[in-house]
Amino acid sequence: MKLLLAALGLPPDQFNDWEIHWALSEASWILPAMGVFFLLALWFFWTSLARVSSRPKKGLLFGLRVLAFVFFIFVLLQPSLEVKQKSAAKNAVAVLLDDSLSMSIKTLPTGKRRFDLVREALDQNPEYFARLKENYRVDFYLASEELHPARLEELDDPFKPLGVDTDFGSMLSKIQERYPENSLRGAILFSDGADLTQLPNSLSPDLEESITRFKVPIHTFQSGTNEGFKDLGIERAELADFGFVFQPTSVRVALVASSIGEKNIPLVLKEDNKILASKIVEIRPGQTRYQVEMTFTPEAVGKRIYKLSVPLFAGESIESNNASEFQLQVVRDRLRILHLNGRPSWDTRFLREVLINNPKVDLLSFFILRTLSDDVAATTGELSLIPFPSNLLFTDYLYSFDLIIFHNFKYAPFIDKKYLLNIKRYVENGGAFLMVGGDLSFQNGGYRNTPIEDILPVRFQSTPGEIFQESFQLLPPPRFANHPLFRLEKDAESNLRAWRSLPVLNGLNAGLIPKKRAQVLAAHSASGKALPVLAAMKSGKGRAFAVATDSLWNWNFRSVGQGGSGRYYQKFWQNLIAWLTDDPETRLIQIQTDKEQYSSGEKVLIQFKVLKEDYNPDPDRPVKLSLRSISKKQDLLSEELKTDARGEGVFEFQPAEDGFYSVKVETERDEEILSSQAEFRRFSQTLEFERPLINAYLLKKLAEKTGGLYQVLKTGVDWQEPTFPDRKRYADARSKTVSLSDNWWAYGLIVGFLFIDWWLRRRAGLS
Amino acid sequence: MTKRKNFYLALGLIVVQWAASGSAGAMGEYSRLAIPQIKYRGGDYKPRPQAVESLLIQTAKRTSVEVKREFLELSLSSKDLFRYPFLYLAGNAAFDPFSSEELKILRHYLSYGGFLLIDDASAEVHSEFDRSVREMISQLFPHNPLQKIPKDHSLFRSFYLIDEVAGRARVNPFLEGVSLKGRTALVYSTNDLGGAWARNKLGHWKYDLIGGDQRQRKLAIRLGINITMYALTLDYKKDMVHLPIILERLRRYHSQ
Repeated sequence: MKLLLAALGLPPDQFNDWEIHWALSEASWILPAMGVFFLLALWFFWTSLARVSSRPKKGLLFGLRVLAFVFFIFVLLQPSLEVKQKSAAKNAVAVLLDDSLSMSIKTLPTGKRRFDLVREALDQNPEYFARLKENYRVDFYLASEELHPARLEELDDPFKPLGVDTDFGSMLSKIQERYPENSLRGAILFSDGADLTQLPNSLSPDLEESITRFKVPIHTFQSGTNEGFKDLGIERAELADFGFVFQPTSVRVALVASSIGEKNIPLVLKEDNKILASKIVEIRPGQTRYQVEMTFTPEAVGKRIYKLSVPLFAGESIESNNASEFQLQVVRDRLRILHLNGRPSWDTRFLREVLINNPKVDLLSFFILRTLSDDVAATTGELSLIPFPSNLLFTDYLYSFDLIIFHNFKYAPFIDKKYLLNIKRYVENGGAFLMVGGDLSFQNGGYRNTPIEDILPVRFQSTPGEIFQESFQLLPPPRFANHPLFRLEKDAESNLRAWRSLPVLNGLNAGLIPKKRAQVLAAHSASGKALPVLAAMKSGKGRAFAVATDSLWNWNFRSVGQGGSGRYYQKFWQNLIAWLTDDPETRLIQIQTDKEQYSSGEKVLIQFKVLKEDYNPDPDRPVKLSLRSISKKQDLLSEELKTDARGEGVFEFQPAEDGFYSVKVETERDEEILSSQAEFRRFSQTLEFERPLINAYLLKKLAEKTGGLYQVLKTGVDWQEPTFPDRKRYADARSKTVSLSDNWWAYGLIVGFLFIDWWLRRRAGLS
Repeated sequence: MTKRKNFYLALGLIVVQWAASGSAGAMGEYSRLAIPQIKYRGGDYKPRPQAVESLLIQTAKRTSVEVKREFLELSLSSKDLFRYPFLYLAGNAAFDPFSSEELKILRHYLSYGGFLLIDDASAEVHSEFDRSVREMISQLFPHNPLQKIPKDHSLFRSFYLIDEVAGRARVNPFLEGVSLKGRTALVYSTNDLGGAWARNKLGHWKYDLIGGDQRQRKLAIRLGINITMYALTLDYKKDMVHLPIILERLRRYHSQ
């Protein structure tokens, strides 16, 4: 061996063991295949020498060929030599400290937490561990769903157990993987036995198998007892992913109660500090689980956070489960649109059809079917006409609408002028108003010098307003190519093609002058003037829009006649309604997180985007990003950032504690603050609290089946010292691997044997 | 005093409205209600040439709808067909079947928002025109045949409250129609509605009624206006906000 090591250039005195490894050694078919191949080769070599009459010569040639072939096979199998230096080492003993959440539960009568009992036991028996370390390597681990090596002196005091999923079967497998070659000679387990995968008083087949494989003793120390365990908690709250504003929604609450006695306890649901619902739950001895259904009505849209709570009684083992927060995405059930039509026309008819067929829209429409000058030639009783309820619409119900449309509608004499001021206030407070043209709109509708003119994006040149009669094609200006209003198709080229395919419009309210703050999204040039066709403006918190023609219906029916469809007409109106009602997709500043819920330790990826007024990216825009803990009502941080070349930015955040958080991004543009907000939650699994009782049966069985001891930790009571077999063992310390085939002499021998074979045959005159 | 004040207010509003509409002029000629008459082969496609104009005059006089009174006639292959979402097809004799291309255009027209009023001017039961119409509709919508329009349909309450169907004649006491996705796109009258509507240039009724009095003509005009209103407002009168008042009026109307 020493010669071989010397030949390979390795110092012989540094290695005391060796092992050969073969390539393809794991392929079971290789040996039989080699055997067959070798026999065939022997037969071939022998028969090919049939013409050699001299037996010694024939034997020599045959031998040379066999040797060449053997070396060929040798090279093919790529052998490598692993030389090792082995030295004496200690066997190991693993000390497993259960660090799952249930170890934070208080035990009675001392009130100490289960983990504190473990800590106390370790601190009180230093001599035992010192003696153990003389004969074994003693490794400490924090163990629950993961196994983490730990140093006792480095653990926090008090230590906060955070493991979420105790599983002894998995724990035993993982510990075995860490100790190859049977170096693990036993384990000491400090735990409450609260394994979530096991049923009371039984061992699952999987755990039985893991115990059988373990083969060395496990000494179990039970921390705490079930004596006097007392708890009242909210196990979970179940509800739909989203609810509708002002529509009752229900939440199913699961409660757990142990040793609470016979009490009627209130379960309260709050938003901020406002009580939304409460229910009395009758807690009775002998029953531990309760299902309670509560109904409440969300009062605002967005992601709302609600808090459930039950009273905290003195002496409860778990205090953190007496309150629980949950989040609900509250949305508008449907957009409520008030559509007032000055007279029946094809434009009003096709728009009504779009609105009434939109499942997201709740439409209330009124048509002025007759005016004071019309002679209906019938009594009121013979008519289906109803009085126009202007008082109700523009006082009591005004704020229930998301959008008000005046479609070629002249307000007088149907609406008192004083109600126009109500509409202005409604818009300034966040409502949406749309005026669609026609000869009863704008100045011709009598809106000059009224509150409606104040909120519209245009003012009026003169009364009566001029009507532009010619046909014209409406195309989105290149500057507004990204504006959500013009998005009929997804990609820019198809979108422009879609706009070009639309029929011409005819008729336009001239004499409309865009206001300074207005955005003229489309205009038609006539007589050297740019006549606004589509104009938008923010007015206070709301939005207003002007469509200066009542011929948009051409994009529907005439488009069909040209071989198209009404699809783009419908899409245009969807886009316009989305913009007017401040749909999140149409906002100039947007923020989102990559997820809504994060488990502890996960990073929150926050992405934001800022757009210019024309919906093109706003690069290098300074923004302020602020984070707030909603649960604690506390501001956490505020960062000054800038958008990149695409008007976007990212920010990472790692929440330190469980709870709900909000992240807000804002920027100032033209003295206006643009902002957007997103919410997310960090949570820890609370499964450990669903089965928090001590499982003594499990700890006893673990010890019994592996030949270990089962003991209950008690303050001031000495334990029986666990013992382990096989104090010493040999373990690898260092190794080196050298290839035996990938060198000059392996190939040289093959060539050499073949050359001698050839030379002998040549000398003997053989072919 | 209050009555006088209301009178002056109403008078003032009328004057203001007249002034405003007169000076503003019409906007978008194609947005005004025009009802072209369909030209077809065989038979007489305009047995009551003044019918549509007379109906439009009444519509303008009685309602807020703006109309375009000129007589228009279009063939189904006309490129202008889709400028007019309301078509009128009348006759009093058999007509040549529509070609498959014409049927396709008409099917497309009605399916995507158009409205067609068919009027049998023959005043006869099972007339030649009636046979041609039914044959044409069976080819137009083979899986969606003509059906009687129920009395609670919006057609009968879109402007006037109507519980009787009549024209110049009373051939059938009902209207028939074809509904597409909840919208009645085709209405067929066998009672010569156009004959009841039509006036001559002096404003006199052009055709005498068959077996009826002036109430019959009044009903026919009201039905014509309701059909027009339905085409322009669809099921608007079935919106919940209107129902209580309409149902109460209908109750009183029937109890008279």
